[in-house]
Amino acid sequence: MKLAYYPGCVSRSTGKEMDVSTRAVCSALGIALEELEDWNCCGATHVSNELAATGLAARNMAQTDLAIMTSCSICYSNLRSAVQRMEEPETRARVNAVLTKKYVGAEIRHALDVILEVLAKDDDVISIPLKDLKVAPYYGCLLTRPRGVDSPEFPVLLEKLIKTLHAEPLDFRLKTFCCGGPIFMPQEKAAEDTAFMILSEAKRAGAEVIVTVCPLCHIMLDAKQRSLEQKKSEKIGIPVLYVTQLVGIALGLGPEELGLNMNSVSPLPLVEKIYERMV
Amino acid sequence: MSSDVDEGFRQTILRLAGDEVQTCIQCGTCSASCPTAHLMNPSIRKLIKLCLDGKKEEALVNDTIWLCTSCLLCTVRCPRGIRPKAVVSACKVLAEKEGIKTKDAAYEQIFSKHIREYGRIFELPLTGEFLLVYPQGMVQSMEMGLEMMPKGKLSIEVEKIQGREEVKRIMEELGK
Repeated sequence: MKLAYYPGCVSRSTGKEMDVSTRAVCSALGIALEELEDWNCCGATHVSNELAATGLAARNMAQTDLAIMTSCSICYSNLRSAVQRMEEPETRARVNAVLTKKYVGAEIRHALDVILEVLAKDDDVISIPLKDLKVAPYYGCLLTRPRGVDSPEFPVLLEKLIKTLHAEPLDFRLKTFCCGGPIFMPQEKAAEDTAFMILSEAKRAGAEVIVTVCPLCHIMLDAKQRSLEQKKSEKIGIPVLYVTQLVGIALGLGPEELGLNMNSVSPLPLVEKIYERMV
Repeated sequence: MSSDVDEGFRQTILRLAGDEVQTCIQCGTCSASCPTAHLMNPSIRKLIKLCLDGKKEEALVNDTIWLCTSCLLCTVRCPRGIRPKAVVSACKVLAEKEGIKTKDAAYEQIFSKHIREYGRIFELPLTGEFLLVYPQGMVQSMEMGLEMMPKGKLSIEVEKIQGREEVKRIMEELGK
């Protein structure tokens, strides 16, 4: 399988482990990734003019004929929204008028969906079954919105993947509840309360690990976890892995290859536990 | 607060967010779905009514539009196929045009400026510039910085893309 790869801006900063693990897992699964040439920011949630945001996404999508894969749910949602907008003839004409390479249509895929497809054909590559591992599947908002391959209300893709890896998906009630990340600056307390509520619920459900598909969710649950524990005087201590990191562990890839040293709450003790359960 | 009916404002909202906004039945599904509804006044449902009634000032001068997390739950649930988040975005664009100054508007402006100049976003320079207009954010930013920096995740360097002129054109010509 050959796909164009859109890493997104966080791949160069706060989400480096998302990018590193995506490349490592795809390589191990025989998915050839061709990085989109000279890609630009998708606008994240901060370019409010919809036509300009559509233009930013369309410029990226016009760089390739291949299906485009990304690991970032924000980029994924923005590219998919732009595909919908570009179906309107007037929008397409206005956007194409300013693009150097013209947009002619695109297929957008999330790494989660691609990996599931590959593992469904051949799960012999899973050398370290994650047996008995209790995983909280946390979707956040944008993987399933706008409406696409999975339900925006009751998504199942993560649970499917967790089961494929022989781990146990927990019934995680807040799995589609917004992490609060986008309002972190204007409304710090509200955002922190929300993130802490999600972490507490994961703890209550007995999670050994939380799995995410969005770099902003990851910041709120992982990078902020220590500070939230201090503010709320409650220990959480649950590692938060990108879905590609969890898959990589099951494929037998090493901590360096998966960027596990870059997570704030170290997943290394958990990885040791997984190895111990093997014997 | 009251304001005059501004038909031009109503038309601009419909142009930016879609004609289907007119079909709103005020059912409140958007507000009921919103993860930050408890912080908002007016609610998303009321915001849409204000826009449709041409109440420009009330629609643009509020915290509501800056409390949207862009989660799109309202948008996938609206029984009329309206995209309430697009209404919020349209209000943000118009608030910016009206020169309404908030720290959130400043953040969006700096974000857009970085896209125009580099083509991509780098969190450290972005946050640095934002803190010049919003120094109160220093503590939370430092806290994050101290967490991220030792992991090699934050760099002061920016990589500029080749197609900056094209990106600038997209932002300026389509963003009019």
